[in-house]
Amino acid sequence: MTTSPAPAAPNLRALQPGELARALAGKGLWIDLGAATVRVRSDSAVFAAQLGTVYGELPLADQGVWADTHIDIRRATGLRRWVRPQVVLWCDGQQPFEPFPADSPLPLFEWGCNWQIAHRLNDLLLLHAGAVERDGLALLLPAMPGSGKSTLTAALSQRGWRLLSDEFGAFDPQAGVFRAMLKPIALKNQSIEVIRAFAPQARFGPEFPKTRKGRVAHLAATADAVRRRHEPARPGAIVLPKWEAGSATRWEPLAEHVAFPALAFNAFNYTVLGEAGFRAAVHLMRVCPAWQLVYSDLDDALATIAATWPAVVQRHAEALR
Amino acid sequence: MNTRPPPSPSAAPPAWAAWLTALREPEVVLRWSLGDWQRIVRLGRRLRLLARLAARLQADGLLDQVPAPAQRHLVSELRLSGWRTTVMVRALERVAEQLQGADHPLVLLKGGAYIGQGLPIAAGRLPSDIDILVPQAALAGALSRLQAAGWVGAELDAHDQHYYEAWSHEVPPMHHPVHAVELDLHHNILPPVARTHVDAGLLLARLQPSSWPVWQVLHPVDQVLHSAAHLFLDSDLTDRVRDLVDLDGLMRHFGRPCADPAFWAELPRRARELGLAEPLALASHFTTRWLGTPIPLAVQAVIAMQGPSKARRAWLLPLLAAALTPTEPDAMPSRRQDLAALALLARYHRQRLPLRWLVPHLWHKMQTRNRVTHHGRDDGR
Repeated sequence: MTTSPAPAAPNLRALQPGELARALAGKGLWIDLGAATVRVRSDSAVFAAQLGTVYGELPLADQGVWADTHIDIRRATGLRRWVRPQVVLWCDGQQPFEPFPADSPLPLFEWGCNWQIAHRLNDLLLLHAGAVERDGLALLLPAMPGSGKSTLTAALSQRGWRLLSDEFGAFDPQAGVFRAMLKPIALKNQSIEVIRAFAPQARFGPEFPKTRKGRVAHLAATADAVRRRHEPARPGAIVLPKWEAGSATRWEPLAEHVAFPALAFNAFNYTVLGEAGFRAAVHLMRVCPAWQLVYSDLDDALATIAATWPAVVQRHAEALR
Repeated sequence: MNTRPPPSPSAAPPAWAAWLTALREPEVVLRWSLGDWQRIVRLGRRLRLLARLAARLQADGLLDQVPAPAQRHLVSELRLSGWRTTVMVRALERVAEQLQGADHPLVLLKGGAYIGQGLPIAAGRLPSDIDILVPQAALAGALSRLQAAGWVGAELDAHDQHYYEAWSHEVPPMHHPVHAVELDLHHNILPPVARTHVDAGLLLARLQPSSWPVWQVLHPVDQVLHSAAHLFLDSDLTDRVRDLVDLDGLMRHFGRPCADPAFWAELPRRARELGLAEPLALASHFTTRWLGTPIPLAVQAVIAMQGPSKARRAWLLPLLAAALTPTEPDAMPSRRQDLAALALLARYHRQRLPLRWLVPHLWHKMQTRNRVTHHGRDDGR
C-alpha cells in the first residue's frame, strides 16, 4: 500500500530551485512508485537536482506515515568530503553498499533502491522484466543480458504504451495483476543515443559516463504513466526480445519450455516464494501467449508488436467470456 | 568477596524494547498505530526478528488484523524465513547422508538444533549457517568427507589458514554449489586458547537426540550456556538482540513447568562446571530486564552470586547495554555506542587470543583491510 499525496501537490518539476533540496534535507520525500513507496532524504544539493530531472512528474510529498524502504543519500564526512568526495547510502541505520563519487548520487540511489525492492517485497513475484500496459493488459519483456530489454521498453513507453516498470514485472499473485514499479529507465551506452533519436521529446536525467555498468542515463516516466501508476494490468503477453545488429525483424512463437525459464528463473525472488512463485509463473504461462522478437530496427519492432496486439486483446476478451 | 545485589523482580524494559513484548503477547500489536508499525518493521527486519513476530502473529491468527502496509512486509519476511529454513533443512539432510556411519557423535548447534527439536524459537528464523560439532579427533575425517561431497572452504592466505588451525574452535566456513547456506564445522564451542576454556568432552558426554536420527543436540542446559557464551564471549554485539530473544525462548521452553524439573537448579551448577558463570550471569541480567524471562528468583540469585564482581559489573553492564541497544532506524549510531563497541571489541579479542598472538593478528587484519579498501575504491563505483 502507498500513501496518497494530496491532489493539489505540485509536481517536483514545478518546484523552485532549492525547494526539493529543502524537502530532502528535512523530513524527506515520499516517492510513490505505485507498488511501493520510498522515503528518501539527502543533504546533497547535487542529488536534489538530479532527482528532480527523472522524478519530475511526481507530486511533491514531503511528509508521510508509511514507506516500504527508507534511503538516505549523505555526503561522506571526514576526508571524503573534500578529497575525491563521495556520497554514502544509508538504510535503516546501516550502510549496505560502497560509496559512490559525490557527482553520481542518482545512480547510487537508483541501484540501492532497486536492490531494496528486490529483496523486501516478497509479497509480489518480482520478475526481472520490462513491463508496459495497453488495453488493461501487461506486455512483459523478460531480461536476458544484452537483450535490449530496456531499449525496447523505453521505446514502447514513448509510443502509446504505459510504462509499468523497466526492471520489475511486479506480479501480485493474490490479485492476479501486475502493478507499476515506476522508476526511471536506466539506459546504457549506445541505447541512450538510440532513444534520444527515437523520441526527441523524452526527458532524460544527466549522463553518468563511468558507472560500473558503463555510461548510464535515466529516462523519466511520462506524465500519463505517473498519473496512472495505481492502475493494475492483467497479464497480457510475453515477448522475449533479442537485439541483433543489422538483423531483419523476426517474430516467432515461443515454446513454453523456453518461455517458462526465461520468466521464472530470471525473477528476483522466484525461489523465495516457493510454491506461490511456481504457481504464479505457471499461471502466467497459461494465460499469456509468448513470442521471441529478434530486432535491430525499433520502429519495425514496435510495428510488429502492434500488429499482433489486437489478437492478444481478443484472446483475453474471449477467455473472460 | 564483593557484595552482590539481591535480584529484583524484573523491572519494566527500556522504552525501545517495549515492542518485543509482542513476541510472547502478540495481541499487543492490535494497539499499534501505523507509525508504530513503520518503526517496528524497519527495526525488526534489521534485527532479524520481523519474521519471528510474523510467525507468532500467524500462529495466533492475528496477521490479518495488521494494517495492510505493514502486513505485506510480515508476509514477505515469512516467505523469506520459510525459504531459508527449507534450504537449511535440505542441506542438513544431505550432510547427514554424507557423514552418517561415522563412529563419533554428530551434533547440531544453534539454529539447526532448534529446528531439529521443533522448539518454539525455530519459527520465523532466517538461518544462514549450519553449525556442526564433532569431537576434535574426528574433525579431519569429517572435513575430508564433507570436501568429498562438494563442500569447499574459503580461500585463505597462509596467515588465516594458520589462525584457524592453531587457534580456532572451527574450520574455515564451507560452501557448497547446490546449498545456499554456510557450513561451520566445530570441535568446540569457544576457541581452545580463549581465557574461558570449555572442555568439549563434558558437552559430548550428555547429548540428546533430535528429530533426525543422525543428528544429536546439546543437553538443554548446555544449549542455554552455549548461546550465552557465543553472545557474550564470541560476538560483536551490535544488533544482536535476537540472541537475547533466543536465550529467552530457550529458558522459557526448557524451564516451563511441565519440562525437566531439574533444569533451573542445573543451569548455574553446570555454568560453574563449564567455566561459563559470567556469560550466564550476563544473559540472566539482560533477559530478565529486557524480556521478562521468568528465571526463578532463587536461581537468579545464585547466577548473580557466581557472576562478575560488583566492580566488574559497574563497567561491563553499561558497555554491554549500550552495545546491545539497537540504533533507531533513522538515527546514526551514537558516539557512546561507537565507544562501547570499540571497548568490547578490545575485550573480545583479548578473550580469544593471547597478546603475543593478538598483536600480530590485528596488524595483519588491518593491512588486509587496507588492501581491500583500496581495491574497492579503485574498481568500483
